[in-house]
Amino acid sequence: MTVATLAMRPQRVALVRAVCVREWREALGNKLLVGMTLLPPSVILAAGIAAVAAAAVNPPSERDVQALYAAAPAVAGLDPKEAVQGFIATYFLILFMLIPTVVPLTMAIYSVIGEKSARTLEPLLATPVGVGELLFAKSLASTVPSVIVTWAAYAIYLVSVISIGSQAASRAVTAPRWIFAIVVMVPLLTLLSVNLGILISTRVNDVRVAQQIGGLVVVPVVGIGIAQVTGRVVIDNQTFIGFASFLILLDLAVFFMAKFAFQRENILVRWR
Amino acid sequence: MQTVIRTDKLTKRFGTLTAVDRLDLEVREGEVFGFLGPNGAGKTTTLRLLCALIAPTAGTAEVAGHRLGKEDPEIRASVGILTEQPGLYERQSAIENLVFFATLYGLDRTTAAKQATHFLQLMGLWERRDEAVATFSRGMKQKMAIARAALHEPRILFLDEPTTGLDPDAAKTVREFIVALRGEGRTVFLCTHNLDEADRLCDRIAFFRHSIIRIDTPDQLRAELYGRATEIRLLPTPRAEDLARIRAVNGVREAWLENGSIIVAADDPLRTNPELVRVLVDGGAQIAYVSERKAHLEDVYLKIVEAIR
Repeated sequence: MTVATLAMRPQRVALVRAVCVREWREALGNKLLVGMTLLPPSVILAAGIAAVAAAAVNPPSERDVQALYAAAPAVAGLDPKEAVQGFIATYFLILFMLIPTVVPLTMAIYSVIGEKSARTLEPLLATPVGVGELLFAKSLASTVPSVIVTWAAYAIYLVSVISIGSQAASRAVTAPRWIFAIVVMVPLLTLLSVNLGILISTRVNDVRVAQQIGGLVVVPVVGIGIAQVTGRVVIDNQTFIGFASFLILLDLAVFFMAKFAFQRENILVRWR
Repeated sequence: MQTVIRTDKLTKRFGTLTAVDRLDLEVREGEVFGFLGPNGAGKTTTLRLLCALIAPTAGTAEVAGHRLGKEDPEIRASVGILTEQPGLYERQSAIENLVFFATLYGLDRTTAAKQATHFLQLMGLWERRDEAVATFSRGMKQKMAIARAALHEPRILFLDEPTTGLDPDAAKTVREFIVALRGEGRTVFLCTHNLDEADRLCDRIAFFRHSIIRIDTPDQLRAELYGRATEIRLLPTPRAEDLARIRAVNGVREAWLENGSIIVAADDPLRTNPELVRVLVDGGAQIAYVSERKAHLEDVYLKIVEAIR
């Protein structure tokens, strides 16, 4: 008589939930990872609120105002105090876009390199779970907390700026294109960063090396931010939609590259 | 008995290295099958092939009624594997580890918790179920890994060195567990360097080095090594002429000195032994005792490994 097994292919929802819960428990137990996840948004948030508050309290000098008008023609003609606050509020919104590139990268790197060093990948891959499903669950486990952290930081920033800032500052942080950026582009940037982190982690075994390589993902975001702040590029609604479309394509490409690298045989035989 | 593993010229190459070379193998349901071979023989690669973790370069295999390469998720659902490293989530508790893996094997929450509880109790780890695995000893981690491999009650359990690093008590628990699995009709595919363990547990043993060299029951393997051997202890010690007299007896295939005794390999000891005693006594030897000497599996292993070198 043939003996029976209890096992079967798990439901996708149950799998994703199990992987996410396990990864989050693991992450919460890693103080370094928790610190590295919370530090960037906390610093950007605190600095942003402090800068807007400082600009509200201290009127800018004539020289500052002229420099600001030259760098940001969009604010020319506004009351100098209003203009400075609007400018600072916008500048920090750009910095907020760095959070989804930095925070999830660390989580994704720990998620794969941690499993590599603990030798937990083989028993994981010995289950009936598909590698694509596993990769998707891992991506989601790193993406969800990062998006929540960014959105929470933005919400606090929004409330703070509206409370203490000028009308120009309030208008800047509630501009539709920035809300679009936070709601749509933050998850897209997060996914990009996560899958890039996973892809890099398939090739290296050291968290620090992976972070250094993955850190390059912030360069285009910083570049666009600087170009916007200095007035060299004006990012309008159309540009935001263009960026979002490009990010969707890039996300898909990087996910499939990560999926290609994340194959059972590659992991067991070639990953060291 | 039904065949649960059948391979036909199963081959795995990594570049120019052939790890598994045209492996033909049949393993029956409910047997403990020993898989022995030197380091680098390709045992782990074979395990990974049979667990559908890596794809063969050539050949075919059927595991638990599923075709390798075509029904890989079904194969992985039907088997459990204990890898060389325990590979547990160290920051998480014993029960969290097991429930997580049970979920990945498709068990619902209630069944997952029930199975985790059952195996933690079976392995004597229930009292420490809520403690982080990082605080566990090597032996406890190994028992956890075995529990994880068996959690979904697989038809075939692949165990790679299950008692390595375990104290005698823990090793006994694991051996009893293997015997219990066989009692339930489950198949155990056991890779081990512990030949005494293989001898005690396995119904059949395969000597493997990239392909099967020899496969049989432990008793048959021992018998083929030097028939049924007899150990003769002389007082005070055997002399050269005693050995020469024995070698001259009809039916003696081989005789040699070992730890102060004469070991005699004969085709039919029941007929030869009285003659051995007579020639020794006639030659003035003082016999302390005559006993049957069972060959150790280690002798068989070493002889086979030496032959293939």
